[in-house]
Amino acid sequence: MDYEAVVGLEIHVELNCATKMFCDCPNRPGDEPNINVCPTCLWLPGALPRLSEQALEKAALLCLALGAELQPLCAFDQKVYYYPDLPKGYQLSQAHLPLSRGGAIDITGEDGAPRRLRIHHIHMEEDVAKLVHEMEGRTPIGLVDFNRAGTPLVEIVTEPDFRTPHEAMEFLKALRTQIRYGGASECSMENGTMRADANISIRPRGTTQMNTKVEVKNMNSVRHVGDAIAYEIERQTASVESGEPVVLHTRLWDPDKKVTSPMRAKFEGPCVPDPSVPVIRLSGEWIAEMRARLPEMPTVRAERLATEYGLAPDEALTVSADPQVADFFEALAAQEIEPRTALHWLTTQLLPAVKDTRQELSVCRVTPARLGALLKMMAAGKINANAAREVLTRMFHTDDTPEAIVAAQGFTQVSDPDALGAMVQQVLDEQPAAVADYRGGQVKALGFLVGRVMQASGGKANPKVIRELLTDRLSAAE
Amino acid sequence: MESTFAFLNPEPVFQGSPHGGADDGYLRGLRVALQPSISVRDWPAEAGSVALSGFTALEDATVVQRLRQAGAYLRGYTRMSEFGFGLGGGEAGAALAEGADIELVLDLMGESRAAAARWKVSAFKPSYSLVSRLGIVGLIPSMECCGLVAPDLGTIRKTLQTVAGPDDLDFSLLDEETPDLSARTIDPAATTVGLIREAADGLSTERQEAFHTSARYLESRGFTLKELSLPDFALFSLVHRIIGSVEASSATGRYDSVRYGPRAPGARNWNEMYLRSRDAAFGTFLKSFLLQGAFFQFNRYEAFEAACRIRAQLVTEMANLCLRAEYLLLPTPQDTPPGPTVGAPADRPASLSATYAQFDSTLFANVTGQPALYLPPTADGTRPGFQLSGAALSDGALLSLGEHLLSDANGEEW
Repeated sequence: MDYEAVVGLEIHVELNCATKMFCDCPNRPGDEPNINVCPTCLWLPGALPRLSEQALEKAALLCLALGAELQPLCAFDQKVYYYPDLPKGYQLSQAHLPLSRGGAIDITGEDGAPRRLRIHHIHMEEDVAKLVHEMEGRTPIGLVDFNRAGTPLVEIVTEPDFRTPHEAMEFLKALRTQIRYGGASECSMENGTMRADANISIRPRGTTQMNTKVEVKNMNSVRHVGDAIAYEIERQTASVESGEPVVLHTRLWDPDKKVTSPMRAKFEGPCVPDPSVPVIRLSGEWIAEMRARLPEMPTVRAERLATEYGLAPDEALTVSADPQVADFFEALAAQEIEPRTALHWLTTQLLPAVKDTRQELSVCRVTPARLGALLKMMAAGKINANAAREVLTRMFHTDDTPEAIVAAQGFTQVSDPDALGAMVQQVLDEQPAAVADYRGGQVKALGFLVGRVMQASGGKANPKVIRELLTDRLSAAE
Repeated sequence: MESTFAFLNPEPVFQGSPHGGADDGYLRGLRVALQPSISVRDWPAEAGSVALSGFTALEDATVVQRLRQAGAYLRGYTRMSEFGFGLGGGEAGAALAEGADIELVLDLMGESRAAAARWKVSAFKPSYSLVSRLGIVGLIPSMECCGLVAPDLGTIRKTLQTVAGPDDLDFSLLDEETPDLSARTIDPAATTVGLIREAADGLSTERQEAFHTSARYLESRGFTLKELSLPDFALFSLVHRIIGSVEASSATGRYDSVRYGPRAPGARNWNEMYLRSRDAAFGTFLKSFLLQGAFFQFNRYEAFEAACRIRAQLVTEMANLCLRAEYLLLPTPQDTPPGPTVGAPADRPASLSATYAQFDSTLFANVTGQPALYLPPTADGTRPGFQLSGAALSDGALLSLGEHLLSDANGEEW
């Protein structure tokens, strides 16, 4: 029988707030263990939660960035379970009255047709403490780090609209981009600021029933989500075909073995309204104020970048995927750098270098103004591309202007034919074989000769002038 | 003789020391007894529970901070029932006979008013959201409140004025200005007191008679009495029992003996440690309440939801009654004899049902959040006891009504 998958996603996103959700402790889970704690996030007797205004704002921006509808009334509930990561015996979450309902993300399906993937609701919740399992000699011990307890999260719950791994991956990529635009989170699956769980079931193609689902966790990249769903569809299909029923449970994805393995029976604890966090009423004015804070969203921006700067649609989408990159690009273009040059240098030189040096584009030393100055020198023929790359590398380690670096390092391009003539002649004399190849019709040999002259000039020669000198002399002396 | 205090302030009795209280504060020199569910920094805030034994408060509760600032002297912690639920095992009110001018008693279902009835003093349960709960080791967050028990209403009013009002650290408080808590003149001829007919249903003949005596006394003092009807009055108890137990069940979830409280020995893993320690930490009576809450939470959630709906209805119905009469007269709490002699075994009610019967006339105010005032009868019988209530946040007026009734106890024949 032919089966199709029915998949829904539950995505946790950590909001980039300054403080935790219900107290003033810094929201820095990665600090030295248990230093960002207080009576509230340790839930000592007498402590009361105080919902952070910033957490509410960031969560609302996230909802609006995903086209979701903020609810006029939302409230926190207690998700009750007993575990060492939860000192008060319940997690504050929104089970009955979530922050928003609805919303959708449009993607392109594998067949090229547009697909709309709907969001059921988005709710706020606090994160729990982190458990670390270690050995003390031969005794296994569990350590608890409360820095993460109470950090602000939202959970995005989708409709079961996904049929293929591709759709889930495209959805997550678009979701990430839109949330970053809203400024609510960095959404890094690698760093754990975005976590996606998938609920997967299968049914005979063409039917509409909803069968028992299996929840898969522990995928820490978009690729893993796709792989895990693909694996689970195969596993469930084989299981059903061999007559074994699918039972409701949770499985963990093993990225090395590329398989899922059972973890525990899925726990569905009761949720009761929390009496200590007041009900939240969002006024129309407040929602309008949040909406006004949202920047131009990525798909809209991509269209504008394409028409305004003549980028190809896929280039425009790539640039607009990250608001920092798009801002950088537009700042370069505003300095009258040719858009294609700007795009090329941004995507092939700057971004890889930023990644290599483990910096953030928005805070690295290479600002749009500095890169613009460098590219202008190149456009004016003052330096060549090789030198420009060298200067760029140095710009990460100094605040000197590109002009100063060029002057100090002697990168100024040599374009004087008289100065280059001697070098050209010397290379022609030293490379009779290449000369013969070129004259025998092997045009590629010219590139080799240009390279030798560049080398002789210490990389400073203007390759265009060398090329002209070489072709002149090779044809003249025949 | 053993003191009714479980813990006495190690600071010397008030001499104007900065720790004991300010020299010129509003409550200068007032000796306040506290239940150990009200956090005082470095004091053993054990809330009458083994689960908290050894726990020392890290911070002052907001009410404590305000009492200190106003110059009050914190006398010590009294003995209280387990988490203040009911009066069994505790000695609420007894501190007044041992040198305290006022005692703060956690009011979950009427404990402050019932304690006052026992000791023939006055008690006031403020409106919900008027007094900060920060630092209160609670059990039923949506219903509990610091009750004030004292022999005179002037002390109660001054203390309320001190502790009430917005607190940046308790978001369940009013954002608005604190309502007027000052004394005002009561003109009986222009004042209507409502009497809820069904509130007397099911009471003993003796209590019914006392209720009607109180009503006749008010008439004799010139007030207009209006009979009101709330057919659902009996549901207050049911709603309290369901919602209160569910909240208590989750509120006590944090007592797992990990950070404080005794750990039961012999557990092989954390789960067993939780189970055994929690089993040993809670008394049988409280456990029956918590288990009932867990039952509604896990097995009868729809009953809990129904209780929440009924609660909202009751709040509306009571608010409507308060539009028809400025004040409400209700039966007084069950007049149990004065507490056990100090150190004697606890007179713990046998069951939840018995406890709920004891508080049947008081818990309405915890369900709705409105204020309630208990006034004791005079020893010579010339004036009966009262339980009075009013609309939410009418605390200032309600206390004035009480003051009016007490000021002229030797009034006309009635």
